[in-house]
Amino acid sequence: MKFLPYILRNVQRNKLRSVFTGLSIAVSLFLVTVLYAYVNMQDEMGEGALKYARVVCTAKQGLTFPVPIAHVDKVKGMEGVKTVVPLAWFGGKYKDDKIPFAQFATDPDHCFEVFAEFTVPPDQLSNFQKDRTGCIVGEKIARKRQWKVGDKIVLKGDIYPVNLELTIDGIYTGPAGSDLEMLFYDYTYLDELLKQSRSQMAGNAGTMFIKAQTPEMMPDLMQRINARFANSEAPVRAMTEQAFRQMFTEMLGNIRVFIRNIAIIVVAALVCVAGNAMAMSLRERTREVAVLKAIGFSRFIVLTLVLIEAIVIAVIGGFLGVMAARLLFQFTDMSMIGIPGFSSFYVPVSTMLFSMLLAAAIGLASGIIPAWRAAQVSVVDGLRKVV
Amino acid sequence: MPAGSERAVVELRGVSKEYMRDKIRVPVLSNTNLDIPHGDFVAVMGPSGSGKSTLLNLAAGLDRPTTGTVTVAGTELNQLSESKLTRWRSQHLGFIFQLYNLMPVLTAFENVELPLLLTSLSRRQRAEHVETALRIVGLQERMDHFPRQLSGGQEQRVAIARALVNDPVLLLADEPTGNLDAAAAQEIMDLLQQLNEEFEKTIVMVTHDPRAARRARRMLHLEKGTFVETELDALEAAG
Ligand SMILES: Nc1ncnc2c1ncn2[C@@H]1O[C@H](COP(=O)(O)OP(=O)(O)OP(=O)(O)O)[C@@H](O)[C@H]1O
Ligand SMILES: [Mg+2]
Repeated sequence: MKFLPYILRNVQRNKLRSVFTGLSIAVSLFLVTVLYAYVNMQDEMGEGALKYARVVCTAKQGLTFPVPIAHVDKVKGMEGVKTVVPLAWFGGKYKDDKIPFAQFATDPDHCFEVFAEFTVPPDQLSNFQKDRTGCIVGEKIARKRQWKVGDKIVLKGDIYPVNLELTIDGIYTGPAGSDLEMLFYDYTYLDELLKQSRSQMAGNAGTMFIKAQTPEMMPDLMQRINARFANSEAPVRAMTEQAFRQMFTEMLGNIRVFIRNIAIIVVAALVCVAGNAMAMSLRERTREVAVLKAIGFSRFIVLTLVLIEAIVIAVIGGFLGVMAARLLFQFTDMSMIGIPGFSSFYVPVSTMLFSMLLAAAIGLASGIIPAWRAAQVSVVDGLRKVV
Repeated sequence: MPAGSERAVVELRGVSKEYMRDKIRVPVLSNTNLDIPHGDFVAVMGPSGSGKSTLLNLAAGLDRPTTGTVTVAGTELNQLSESKLTRWRSQHLGFIFQLYNLMPVLTAFENVELPLLLTSLSRRQRAEHVETALRIVGLQERMDHFPRQLSGGQEQRVAIARALVNDPVLLLADEPTGNLDAAAAQEIMDLLQQLNEEFEKTIVMVTHDPRAARRARRMLHLEKGTFVETELDALEAAG
């Protein structure tokens, strides 16, 4: 595009104005990117989870209701099930953490078959399986809290009326984007403590995580599991892991609609801001536009030049905002936000692309009126105008 | 010179132009006929408001006559649509303005290159044309300078190079020396005269400056919308 150097010079014509327009777009798109990333990341992880062929079972009435531990063995025998483990959220306080990190009571013998994407060194795993008060922690949280294998940690029960005294037996690693900030310990240890304190919460598996033999078998398996317990005292709801993750997003209100509405408002405001800057810029150039047309620049070319100029400003601003969001969350610890499942917050590439498209659209929209006006400038009047 | 060589480069037939101002008709040109042959250099003089710029605008196809026809280089401008006219201008005309009207964000080179961006010339070909045009106006050393780094006379020479670069049939200049001191005006007139004599460019120049007008081949006087032709000799004799 041979006109590009001219367009770029025009972008720099009033540097301060372009910088402010670009920055307002950068800041707003940063916000939009983060909001969308929040939703898209869940979807992406959910979709990614499909290949792991996991079905999650909660109590039919909801997450806070118990799933009897006996259900686990019943599911284990069902056709199409590879393995199944209980997974109970403990939510205990470590030292003076305000927000609990993810701690799950599970079955040490099978949990890394269900969560096959995680790897634990074999000796550490076998220690964990032998040690009833042992636990395995994620690589990221271990690094952050400077835990080593052999360290002892105490988790003060909050939901549960018991404290856990755990020994770190191993550290798991996993692929990029997976949650490396969880802690797994032995379900029987929790259950024993609960029984000792005569808690009604004993015998609750929390949820069941089921590994199906193939992803294709999941829909049928879910139906059969639901049917199997439908008439029992504790009916369950089976869902894919993806649906389970979405449940968390939806628990936070109708967040998708909310985010979309915020994005629409932000975009509308930006179109006005950028459009105004562009209109001002062109009003100052009326005479130059007239000269361009006199020497043979058609309406179409004038229109296109202005539109591209507006898009360039918006895209540069958008790029800054999007990269800022991406890099910020790559190097910051999001576990402090304290929402379960969000400890590995990142900005997916699809969200970045979406935001860049949005930036281009903002540029285009902001340029339309100024561009159309520039295209209509009458050469005779424009040249007559005294500068 | 293709179609235009036989006939006049600029041909006005029965041209009148009136503007509407607050619903009142303001006649500017009335039933004007004009022939400017190839290779001519015409100075158009006349009092302010007599319609000189209007005449140039009509010849350039920037404005349309109320009645009559304007034919330039064999093309009847009334027949062309707005977009065709714009294209036609880029191929056949060169403009020189009183206020130079260079793009402040572009260097001398880039300003001169601007009209060539509308052609299919390659980058190298464009550079050759630009350098040639800048050499003709004597500014090849200044091609990387921005307009604000040039004197008024130099800016006007860059503007002339821009007008020349697409090798137009006709150069239209509206008070090209109106903003310049005597010395710079002299240089610009030398240049225009050279373009007319050496490069056979047909030039129509509006001016208030009799000294500039004297450099043209002939002079036209516009008085209340009609022409009064004045022979140069007559003017000289008059003083
Ligand atoms: N677009 C327009 N609308 C209304 N009136 C106009 C318009 N353009 C020109 N006129 C009028 O037409 C008349 C001739 O204008 P023009 O610009 O051709 O004069 P000129 O001879 O070039 O004057 P000057 O020497 O001051 O440049 C003037 O009275 C001017 O006010
Ligand atoms: Mg005038």
